[in-house]
Amino acid sequence: MSSIALVGNPNTGKTSLFNTLTSSYEYVGNWAGVTVEKKVGSLKNGAGKLIDLPGIYSLHPLSRDEGVAAQYLIDESPEALVNIVDASQLERNLLLTLQLLEYGKPTVLGLNMIDVAKARGIYVNPEILQKHLGITVLPLVARTGKGSGQVLSILEKTSSIPAVTFKLHYGELVEQAIAAIQHELQQTADLPNHRWVALQLLEQNPVVLELLSKRINISRLLEICDTCQTELQNKKLALTLPQWIRSTRKEYIHSICLEAVDTTAQKPHNLTEKLDSILTHRFLGLPLFLVFMYAMFKTTFDWVGGPLSDIVDGWISGPISDSANSLLQTIGASGFTHALIVDGIIGGVGGVVVFVPQIFILFLMISFLEDSGYMARVCLLMDSTMERMGLNGKAFIPFIIGFGCNVPAIMAARSIEQPKERMLTTLLLPLMSCSARLPVYLLFAAVFFPAQQATAVMSMYVLGVIFALILCKLFSKHLFKNESSVFIIELPPYRMPQLKTLGRSTWEKGKGFLRKAGTIILAGSVIIWLMSYAGPTGFNVDMDNSFLAKFGGLIAPLLHPLGFGTWQAGSTLVPGFLAKEVVVSTMNIIYHTPDTAGLESQISQVFTPLSSISFMAFILLYIPCLATVGVIKKETASWKWTFFSMGYSLVLAYMVSFIIFQGGSLLGWS
Amino acid sequence: MASTSCSLLRLQPGSTGSIYRIEGMNPILRRRLADLGVSEGVMIRLKGKGPFLGPITLECNGQLFAIRRKEASMIEVNVS
Repeated sequence: MSSIALVGNPNTGKTSLFNTLTSSYEYVGNWAGVTVEKKVGSLKNGAGKLIDLPGIYSLHPLSRDEGVAAQYLIDESPEALVNIVDASQLERNLLLTLQLLEYGKPTVLGLNMIDVAKARGIYVNPEILQKHLGITVLPLVARTGKGSGQVLSILEKTSSIPAVTFKLHYGELVEQAIAAIQHELQQTADLPNHRWVALQLLEQNPVVLELLSKRINISRLLEICDTCQTELQNKKLALTLPQWIRSTRKEYIHSICLEAVDTTAQKPHNLTEKLDSILTHRFLGLPLFLVFMYAMFKTTFDWVGGPLSDIVDGWISGPISDSANSLLQTIGASGFTHALIVDGIIGGVGGVVVFVPQIFILFLMISFLEDSGYMARVCLLMDSTMERMGLNGKAFIPFIIGFGCNVPAIMAARSIEQPKERMLTTLLLPLMSCSARLPVYLLFAAVFFPAQQATAVMSMYVLGVIFALILCKLFSKHLFKNESSVFIIELPPYRMPQLKTLGRSTWEKGKGFLRKAGTIILAGSVIIWLMSYAGPTGFNVDMDNSFLAKFGGLIAPLLHPLGFGTWQAGSTLVPGFLAKEVVVSTMNIIYHTPDTAGLESQISQVFTPLSSISFMAFILLYIPCLATVGVIKKETASWKWTFFSMGYSLVLAYMVSFIIFQGGSLLGWS
Repeated sequence: MASTSCSLLRLQPGSTGSIYRIEGMNPILRRRLADLGVSEGVMIRLKGKGPFLGPITLECNGQLFAIRRKEASMIEVNVS
């Protein structure tokens, strides 16, 4: 099986093409709009594997996801490359193309978005491009799948793709340096194309530098680079070597584009201009964004998600529980098995599955925002606020994704260029209410604030955001050196997201939740149920004498000042660390209620409106779940920061809940 | 035709200038701009200014992007 890499600038439609060319995923680290980790799929015709790399402008990485792409090309050796370029942005896109051609692997150029380009009056002649670059150029419309059949048939036999013969002359001085470096590299095995390595070295690509320094002594190579740069400076040709290489490439590209691209009829993006004049308006922009957010939450919780959840709840507490009951009776299951299945599994997992519709709707809307191009505008609108807090507007995307799940959100922080800002975003992301915390809010809001459910839930989200902003200010002032914050963001043209792509990305995001329901939550429910079923005196004990009650009772005194010092509340918090979804399943088990109505009536007796707010705030802030902790460790590569993120959130949760409950009590609330 | 150079920020929204000099900019940002094809001699258009002294929107080579005002003030343009 051959492996083929898909490479290109951000927003050129790589993922759309990937979706039309592949039938199945093998590995996914992606959500709509942003590929953060390479994604592997099988080509539809069975010819091999296709690897979707993160969007990059050049092989010289600035942010971490660009590093992933560069690393891939160096470490692994794909048999062929598919370079996808945006026909309306050809001049910029070809800079990467040249670097890829120098890489020397058989390459196919996908000239994408020819429809968009044509609509804007830009005509690209693929034959002329093909002639100059010496590779196959295929016009494409990846969004509709036009032209993808041809790509697929070319990739059928990678060995038949002609080898790349492209070679750009960088001037005598640089060519001498290249030859000298190539000479030095002769003895080193397993390197990509030596001319490419030499050029990347001259461009001071840190990834290539690191790779080489692990294998060989590079001092001689660096010397060649330095000499070459000094000579360029002496002859007043360029200030730096990378600058010289870049401008040589740019001149060449410009000359090709003069021939191949006809822009005489070019028109501006009318729709984008019109939409931007409203959506990024100085005064209207932010209020409109808040209205959209409110509508998003209303749809998720009140208008669509709520009713759907009720239907699912009806199935679980009705037909599913009933048929399980009668089935178990017919086969004569023991009391233990019966209770395990009905109370433990259906109660525990069912209590969480109820929220699946809401979670999928939330993911669907986040995907819509990403695909439409609005998300980039939101970053723009939020930048001045975020800057005051020591972050930049780009950090806002991870924060919004964090509402879905903190894990991909932390990975999305990779698109932030500045290390300090990346770290801050990673540390603060757990304060975003992920979909797992949602069931807790929904449950308590339904019991105590039935008239203002959406508002109550949304205020928890807002609370998280406010704390993130405050802590951000605090951390950026006291924990990090005065690294300045930078902000630059591309604004892609607005487009109507496609149903198929939306469906696929929503499913990709929501799938994790279902998988968790089937694994961690199932296991958690069974363990919790067992602990509630068994006690020091044996099985089937009264719940108050169970192991769970004993265990929860240990923590309860600590929680007393927060207003929920019961063993029930205490025993939901520890498993909640595994996955926050387990909090609700634990409650279902503790209160012996397979349906929502029963649980709600139990909770209304144990909690008060004030203690429910305190509890919700605690659930919002306390310790990130295990999966999040794992990804924080992976992204920060530091135990110190990982423990820091766990510690500060626990302290914060305790303080905030304490203030809410004690403060509220003093004011005479209950 | 008289041409004067001024900071990009001084452009009226909707008007165009050619980049004359970029100086003193954060190197990360400078590289990113170069990736987008923003360099000396290129035509650049100021599309709009964001709310609360937020970033300004620019167009260069048909690509829309946004940077902060502080950085935009380091780009000098020629207006003819």
